[in-house]
Amino acid sequence: MKQEALKELLYKMADDQLILGHRNSEWTGMGPLLEEDIAFSSMAQDKVGHSLVMYQMLHQLGENDPDTVAFMRHADQFHNCQFVELPIGEYDFSLMRHFLFDHGELIRFELLAGSSYEPLSLAAKKLKGELRYHKMHADVFIKKLGNATEESITRMQRSLDYAFPFAMGIYEPSPFEESLIEDGVFKGENHLKDLWLESMTKVLNETELKIPDPEAVKPVVGGRTGKHTEHLQPLLDEMAEVFRVDPTAEW
Amino acid sequence: MESLDPRVQRLNIKQDGKDFPEKPELDQWITYEVFVQLVEDKPFRHEGIVHACDLDMAFILAKEQFTRRYTCSGIAVVATHEIWVSPLTEDQESVLDMDPSDWPDAGKEGNYEVCLLYRRGKQHEHAGQIQANSSKDAFRMTAEAYPGDAKPIYNVWVIPTDKFRFSTPEEKEIWDTLPEKRFREAADYKAGDKLTNFKNAIK
Repeated sequence: MKQEALKELLYKMADDQLILGHRNSEWTGMGPLLEEDIAFSSMAQDKVGHSLVMYQMLHQLGENDPDTVAFMRHADQFHNCQFVELPIGEYDFSLMRHFLFDHGELIRFELLAGSSYEPLSLAAKKLKGELRYHKMHADVFIKKLGNATEESITRMQRSLDYAFPFAMGIYEPSPFEESLIEDGVFKGENHLKDLWLESMTKVLNETELKIPDPEAVKPVVGGRTGKHTEHLQPLLDEMAEVFRVDPTAEW
Repeated sequence: MESLDPRVQRLNIKQDGKDFPEKPELDQWITYEVFVQLVEDKPFRHEGIVHACDLDMAFILAKEQFTRRYTCSGIAVVATHEIWVSPLTEDQESVLDMDPSDWPDAGKEGNYEVCLLYRRGKQHEHAGQIQANSSKDAFRMTAEAYPGDAKPIYNVWVIPTDKFRFSTPEEKEIWDTLPEKRFREAADYKAGDKLTNFKNAIK
């Protein structure tokens, strides 16, 4: 198994989870209703937890410790897709991103449960239940707001249209795609993308929302190779502010 | 006063609060009652309420409100207004000894879930399912079946089974990692110990 390929896979997953987890945690205390505030915050916490598991795995492979990796890198050293770094916007966008991202993330973990790299397959089996809940949560809200009122449908449609090219960018193929598939580590981004399209289309078909044509959309890529929007660095500065004051502080 | 929270600063809220739209009074969703089963084979116990627009939303919100710690094997949610509630008794008086003839009735023939309050100030526990002609009929049947020498029951809830949303066996995996989520327990932060150590260190 090629370590470089494995590390690339782990880094992009971990960075997606950390950045989206941090973004979604920005809603803590400001959610649209108390119960949803708690649920959304809790799922954000799950995401950060997943990234920790991935960073620990990378540490086992010789990378720096999780705190250093999470808090001390510059934006261009991050491998997350641009989708997860976009500002939270209004709640319709955050919900739509949560829906689009976690449909794919659940399938990713289901595929990785069968990975030939045992630490990853064990982690995926263990954590996929949490993602199952994230998907259930997203589906309920998307079905409600995608059918409710003219305003809710318009807002969700606008968010879907805006988010969709970025969401397609989650599946930017890695340069190690073939090696990962050959070694049985992961079935590949293209395979995952097809399953993702199928999965989220099924839910959106139960709403008034129109899915953009994936063939006609140009995916927003670049995040995997460190090309980011202007939104990532300020996020990192804010996230790491306390850690950088005193990296040895105990919590 | 300006907030130190960068998220709040980004909202650019005007100090006079005029940015907030006026909301009509009581503009909120109805309530749903949440029951939690901590481990398999133990009875479901009433844990609290969530606001929601329907059963599915009540279910997903209940999961994070009431099953974030310890263990969970299943949850059940039902709209508050679907619950038939008996009067409340205290001390040695058991509500099951009361004559329900004059009480209002509800529901039609079908299956009902019966929940009993064993101790005042505690939560209702699921006691079992019963086939009955109505809610009050289910209460009567419960009273007849309940051993006369057992401890008093202070309140009874009767709920039509088909009004519930129960978690399914396949959904159980959403609680798989729960026992390991120690970081969500207040005690796990050991704040008291840290404070003591800090105080000792600066002495």
